[in-house]
Amino acid sequence: MLEQLLASVIDGLLLGFIYGLAAMGLTLIFGVMEVINLAHGPIMALGMFGVYYLSMEMGLNPYLALILVAVLGMVLGLVIYGIAVHRILDAPELSSLLATFSVNMMIIGLGTAFFTTSPYNVEFSMGSLSLGPIILPWNRVASAIIAVAATALLYFFLYRTPPGKAIRAVSQNRDAAELMGIPSTTMLALSFGIGSMLATVAGGLVATLFSFTILSGATYELKSFVIVVLGGLGNPAGALVGGLILGVMEGVIPVFIETSWVPVIEMVLFVLILLVKPQGLLGAK
Amino acid sequence: MAVLEVKNVSSGYGEVQILWDVSLQLEKGKLTSMVGGNGVGKTTLMRTIVGLLKPWQGSIMFNGKEVTKLSAHTKAAEGIVLVPEGRQLFTDMTVYENLELGAFSPRAKANFSRNLEMVYEMFPRIKERLNQLTGTMSGGEQQMVAVGRGLMAQPEILMIDELSLGLSPLLVLDLFQILLRLKGEGYTILLVEQNVQMALAISDYAYVVADGKIELQGTSKEVANNAHVREAYLGI
Repeated sequence: MLEQLLASVIDGLLLGFIYGLAAMGLTLIFGVMEVINLAHGPIMALGMFGVYYLSMEMGLNPYLALILVAVLGMVLGLVIYGIAVHRILDAPELSSLLATFSVNMMIIGLGTAFFTTSPYNVEFSMGSLSLGPIILPWNRVASAIIAVAATALLYFFLYRTPPGKAIRAVSQNRDAAELMGIPSTTMLALSFGIGSMLATVAGGLVATLFSFTILSGATYELKSFVIVVLGGLGNPAGALVGGLILGVMEGVIPVFIETSWVPVIEMVLFVLILLVKPQGLLGAK
Repeated sequence: MAVLEVKNVSSGYGEVQILWDVSLQLEKGKLTSMVGGNGVGKTTLMRTIVGLLKPWQGSIMFNGKEVTKLSAHTKAAEGIVLVPEGRQLFTDMTVYENLELGAFSPRAKANFSRNLEMVYEMFPRIKERLNQLTGTMSGGEQQMVAVGRGLMAQPEILMIDELSLGLSPLLVLDLFQILLRLKGEGYTILLVEQNVQMALAISDYAYVVADGKIELQGTSKEVANNAHVREAYLGI
């Protein structure tokens, strides 16, 4: 029992890093421009299909494929920002929800036409890692390591590089940033690009672990929302912590009760956090 | 020679017109002050000059070049720098990061070390607190960081909106000393100040703004001696 629990916790933590990465994309975009990106899930799904096509059809190693997927995710984000997001930044919140929801519907519509809604699988296995009684698939370990590395890169970018600092400046005070010569529109577009890149990378990592369809993004989008609320909206570090909490819950809950209870408990937690501590466990930015 | 020339500018927010046909000139190396009551349009004029607001009419010339429609960050990068009212620091960032962001444009970056030395020397107090988040500082310290950040931007024109608002008299004296020093070093400055007496005492030229229009202008001495100004703004 104890061993099983330990294995579930570790398994959950590994998954949690990927959840955290996905949620960071969502929270970064909200933190910088106060837009809730309802296209987050489908963008993740595109990351899944990106890894699938580059690895299964073109023979690339899935982890190498991720690099290309990241670049495409950035480009996709910039395009979405230019077409759907920029014009509604100063509009009431409902407009940004509707705009990103429209993008969501477009991606799902096109995705269904191209890929149908039947499940896809990235067939790729690197064997298992045995730590005493605990056996971990290398795929999961590698995915978690990549998610951690991506998180570290994001932090390095935001806190150590001029464009990263400029993005933080714009998120704190857009007018003041303009007054310092920072092109704030460029920074907003870049943030949306990065948020979308994080979503596609997280999606790509998920694709190396589970089968998926064009609709799979919705599940992870919902998880991202729970995580973001757990960690505090607009707080990337909070997203990581929230991701780990959710991952562990998903690992541990099925040890005790049926797996189908997991989303119920997640959503109850979501509502409870909103009621008791709406600023999130780590506090909103 | 006029570094900045505002010609017949009208501007406002949404449908509400605030500025009516305002013209103003800044001479190179001079300290110009703009005084007047609350809500007469001084801040609106500053925001229009830097490009946060677009002028409805009129033109703005900078070193003989038209900059009327340029975006705020382009103007800032060329040296039209505003230290805004209420300081508007990046409050979740450290003092050093704020100073660093002041020098975002290539022009400013090229002079980064020199300007940083100058800011450290002018404000020893902020040099001691480089790693403090600016949101946790006192109003006076924040104002020092705000002026420091403006200086890091390598200003051709340094505009300061309400330098002394809400600060203790002692700090106000300190900041005015700094202004005098900047003037001595050849900076072109436009100062908006509610402390009319002090503003007129240190500036070369002054504009009095009322109801969105320039009511009066002249050398600071002339303005200070104007009967209407003495009565309405100086309370003499």
